[in-house]
Amino acid sequence: MTKTSITKQPLRLLMDFDAQIQRDGQQASDFIHRRDRKFALNCEEHNSPSDPAHWLAWLGRFDNSREQFAGAGQSTEQRWQRINSGFIALGAVLGIITMAGLLFYDGGQRINVTVIIGFVALQLLLALLTSLQSVMGWQPWRPLLNRFVPAPGPALQPLQPALMARAAQGGGLSFAVTALLTLLAMVVIQDLAFGWSTTLNTAASGYHQLTSALATPWAWLWPSAVPDQALVEATRFFRAGTNTLLTPARWGQWWPFISMLWLVWVVLPRLLLRLHASALVHLRARTLLLRHPGLNALRERMATPVLDTGAGHNDANDLPDTRHNTLLQPLPEKAHLLSWAGAGTVTDKQTLPSVLAAICPGPALNVGGLASLSQDQQAIVQLAVNSDAVTALMLVSSWEPPTGELLDFLTSARQSWPAGSRVCLMPLAAETREPSNTATDRQLQPWLRFAERCPPGFVTVGDITISTGLSHS
Amino acid sequence: MNQAPVFAVVGHPNKGKSSIVATLSQNDAIAIALEPGTTRRSHAYPLQVDGQVLYTLVDTPGFQRPRRVLEWLEAHSVSASDRAATVAAFVTQHHGNSQFSDECELLAPLIEGAGIIYVVDGSVPYSPQHEAEMTILRWTGRPSLALINSIGDEDYGDTWQAALGQFFQVVRKFDAVRAPFEQHLSLLRAFGQLEPAWEKPLETATGFLDRQRQQRRQHAATLIAQTLQQMMGYRHSRSLAEDLAASASSQNKDAFASELRKNWYQHQRQREQQLRGDIQQLYQHGQLQRQEAELEWQSEHDLFSEDSRQLWGVNKGYLVGAGFGAGAVGGVGIDALTLGASFGTGALIGGIIGAAGSYFYGDRLPLPTLKIGPLRNGVKTASFGPVPDTQFGYVVLSRALNHWWHVSHRNHAGRAPLALGTTDSHWLEGLSKQDRNILHRALEKTRKGKVADPSDQHKLVRSITHAMKAYNEWQLKST
Repeated sequence: MTKTSITKQPLRLLMDFDAQIQRDGQQASDFIHRRDRKFALNCEEHNSPSDPAHWLAWLGRFDNSREQFAGAGQSTEQRWQRINSGFIALGAVLGIITMAGLLFYDGGQRINVTVIIGFVALQLLLALLTSLQSVMGWQPWRPLLNRFVPAPGPALQPLQPALMARAAQGGGLSFAVTALLTLLAMVVIQDLAFGWSTTLNTAASGYHQLTSALATPWAWLWPSAVPDQALVEATRFFRAGTNTLLTPARWGQWWPFISMLWLVWVVLPRLLLRLHASALVHLRARTLLLRHPGLNALRERMATPVLDTGAGHNDANDLPDTRHNTLLQPLPEKAHLLSWAGAGTVTDKQTLPSVLAAICPGPALNVGGLASLSQDQQAIVQLAVNSDAVTALMLVSSWEPPTGELLDFLTSARQSWPAGSRVCLMPLAAETREPSNTATDRQLQPWLRFAERCPPGFVTVGDITISTGLSHS
Repeated sequence: MNQAPVFAVVGHPNKGKSSIVATLSQNDAIAIALEPGTTRRSHAYPLQVDGQVLYTLVDTPGFQRPRRVLEWLEAHSVSASDRAATVAAFVTQHHGNSQFSDECELLAPLIEGAGIIYVVDGSVPYSPQHEAEMTILRWTGRPSLALINSIGDEDYGDTWQAALGQFFQVVRKFDAVRAPFEQHLSLLRAFGQLEPAWEKPLETATGFLDRQRQQRRQHAATLIAQTLQQMMGYRHSRSLAEDLAASASSQNKDAFASELRKNWYQHQRQREQQLRGDIQQLYQHGQLQRQEAELEWQSEHDLFSEDSRQLWGVNKGYLVGAGFGAGAVGGVGIDALTLGASFGTGALIGGIIGAAGSYFYGDRLPLPTLKIGPLRNGVKTASFGPVPDTQFGYVVLSRALNHWWHVSHRNHAGRAPLALGTTDSHWLEGLSKQDRNILHRALEKTRKGKVADPSDQHKLVRSITHAMKAYNEWQLKST
């Protein structure tokens, strides 16, 4: 973490934070949760703060290029810097032009102090209004601004009035300073003749009171910049008349007052309001950062442990091949009856199909299940007593899938029985469904695939419906 | 520090062992099929909190030759005290033997100290033929729990329960596909009861899982709120070509408008699909999108079809009511500004304006009209949207809630396509008046293109969270 990245200005911090939150919107939520939780745990381990500044620095720790990391936050800041510079430049030019216009003196009419006082009042009013609208959050200039700066997200929108006020006050300050410099330059290079004039029936004493009131702030500092009663009385002029009795130098004695008037009532308020606007931007940026919806979400991610339920493993496509080419076969005409793992007697509701009595006249031999392996072997031997090929009908429970033990039994039987022997598997349903009592198609599928895995020609899956002409359930 | 408990999920082939693991580990990418031997090797699914394992589930292949194993064990055991060691010796002896590979895979975690979760299918009849495998498990001496899963429709659970009670410490029924989330937690707590040292980690784990579920709901509400606002406020704009702008041919303009409309619809559908994906991802249903049936569902209940509107929209009466409430909330602001001097007139005026607006817009679902902007910088821009009807928001919201509900209530063992049902009454009835107003206000605000501030967004998310609760209760009542 670099120190500079952590000690960011609140505005820049807010912009960077907002930009990062926008970027996170494109990331998987799992990832950002893991990342932020790790940051929180790291902070806990090193006892370091986990505020947004440290978070941003943590995220940017692998970025060699700071510009790249700064991203949208920096570009927004630069855009506002350009706006600020534009306002300052415009203000500077307008300040020179305006003051030159106000002091325009061709040797004829006097420069009216009343006009200058009015203009100062207007400047003061505009400066106050600018700050007021930023405090109130008004944005009458928004459509114009949108042409230059893309509309920010909802989190940054409340900052716009303060930023705009800061730019405007900066422009106003620039205007005031260049105007003052122009005034001083004009005082030096020209002989300016100030006077005061008004249509109103105002006595010089009243005007003097006004100027004295305006000069109160600097009266103690620069007394000669406060016009005295005599100067006020002497410099009143009427456009319709002439005042040629006055010494020409007397007309110029107003300049300290005008300069101080401009400095105190235009430059200083602009300066103070510009500082206020900056402070407001910082304050708002800090508040907005604290209220940023992304910050709450970040804190929640940091406080919430990452829970991995073991969902990472994926073998969804690693399924066994369920294709087969085996078809159901008719039952043998005569066969020895075998019952694998109690098939046919598993439930009270299960009875053997009546047609079996004709095929298998003898009792069923129980193999598998509760029978021991030696009993299995005895059954194999028992059926192989003659040298004739053995035909066996083996009842199996359709819902219990064929296991390795059944395969072992059939392999052993094939090895023990004469050539040409065969076993017909007959999967039974859990409940008797006379007359067929066979399993459903879905239950039969694993048995057909099992038969295909057995030695060729030795094992078939029988279908009672083919033998009896019944339709399959 | 004690080692985290491990539970080996064992049993006969094809009884739903992988389904149990899939549901409890929230993993819908575990291979599950109605084919014996789908699981050929053991696989561990640890539950980790900040990298620390709280417990591990081990999915195992089913018993293939239990009688043969038992015969070997009996042949090599002298007394009851050496049974566990004999089982371990069997695994050592037959390691790499293809005949007993499944047994070695399933017994290995048990001899390393795992608890036994023995799974049977309660939808098929009990058979004492399984006693060989139960005896082997008893020989391991590990704490054991039997789970009666239900793969089919029949119910033999009681017979199984009585029989399994003789072999296992605890017997529980658990439907891996249909069990609600609360039962998942309850089952995990039952795992913790098998040994005193396991109780705490399982209790901690269930606490985390429960909190995760609440956070997911909150996150889902945020996602829905964002989508709702984006879709309500979406405007599709395009610069008009000079010749088209100049051309008076209404045919050309109609074609242009039609293209804009098409693009607008397409964007809205894509945005909705993105929400579907996000919600599914949130609930770790990454495989769900690949189901064919979802596409079918999409085409049947298209967002803009008349069917959708009738199913998910709200009636005019509701819109007037909600509009009045929302307007009144705005009107109260007038009263606040006048420090109450208007004696509630603001609320009344706001209410009437809100109701009138809703009635006007709510009566129909008009298409967002085409607007051609003024010439600016030498270019004319035509735009389509935002939708001039709050009804659209309710359709999007209802569909989103319906999808969320099904996804959040879907267990990860489920492999059937997501089927989103239809409704014959409205869930909004269960939502409080205050939430209805907030919801309606947010929809109206977005429709008018106003940017919602963080506080509005927070309120909307909260209302949607309440709507989820109402929707959940309504669904549970109607099913």
